[in-house]
Amino acid sequence: MKILHTKIGDHFIQFENAPLYLFKMFRELAEANHQPDLTVTIQLDFGVPFLNDDVREDRQADRIYFRRSDYLVEVEAAFQYAEISAYDELALKHALINLYSSFIVHHGWGLLLHSSCVIENGEAHIFTGHSGAGKSTAAVLSFPRNLLSDEATILKISAGKMEVFNSPFRSEIPSGGEETVFPLGSIQVLHQSLQNQRIILPKSDSLITMIDKVFYWSNLPAHKKVILDMLVEMAKKVPIYNLFFQKDNTFWELIS
Amino acid sequence: MVQYIQCSTVEATQLDEEWIILHTENFTVTKLNEIGGFCWGLLNQAQTVDSLVQSLSDQYVAMEEISTRDIESYLLGLLHFRLIQHVI
Repeated sequence: MKILHTKIGDHFIQFENAPLYLFKMFRELAEANHQPDLTVTIQLDFGVPFLNDDVREDRQADRIYFRRSDYLVEVEAAFQYAEISAYDELALKHALINLYSSFIVHHGWGLLLHSSCVIENGEAHIFTGHSGAGKSTAAVLSFPRNLLSDEATILKISAGKMEVFNSPFRSEIPSGGEETVFPLGSIQVLHQSLQNQRIILPKSDSLITMIDKVFYWSNLPAHKKVILDMLVEMAKKVPIYNLFFQKDNTFWELIS
Repeated sequence: MVQYIQCSTVEATQLDEEWIILHTENFTVTKLNEIGGFCWGLLNQAQTVDSLVQSLSDQYVAMEEISTRDIESYLLGLLHFRLIQHVI
């Protein structure tokens, strides 16, 4: 248990009382001379094992609480300090995803999206869809292309620019430590099929499709507007397609 | 005459010819076509069925007939999702 300095997106994060698991999950910065954007203190052995995905958000004047059966995240209102109490490693990972996704929405910086993301010709291409649609499968089939994410894509949205950062929040495929930021080229909504076909969505359907791909929707109306505005920006700037794909790598012929 | 107006708990955005209306408390999403979006824009001020029919007739002169029943049905839909309310 010790201090871990790392970077997620373009934010410097300092973990205090960090368990060894976090040193595998995050790349430790050699130099710790950056002022952290967010300091997180970790406690384990909290609560009960995972029951369901229900997270209760409770906003007080100076604190925000996110409660699930297996974790509690307590954040001070300015989002500079947070405490996480978690039951086990899985709970800690989900608590960190909860914290970081709400952190970037709080700052209007960007969104964490349920998706995998693959690099091709200097651009990032997102694969998303409902649970079981094949996000991880598409990522695996994309080998030897490098991945930016396999379940949670970190997308920065600013002044009309969409940029994807390497995500430490992984499910099956460990991060290769990619440090370059890539412009977002396209989004594919996956549907497993017997033949490959890619059909562009109208912008309105693009927006509707992406609404439930956002990890964190605040219960605060002002934050909902921030998220909606970012999704609108995304729907306007990035082509979003329905991708009907066979379970092999030939679908890349439709993308690259 | 019953008047209708947009609720304050919604966020609306136009994408190409269509409108997306998000109810920020109930968390519903409603898509409107061009004509529905035109009426939505008018509903930021109090409107009656007749005033909407008149505005549509002025805007879309090519439309042969704008049915009062269609407008009532449209307003009922918006009321159902609490996107508009009666003006009291």
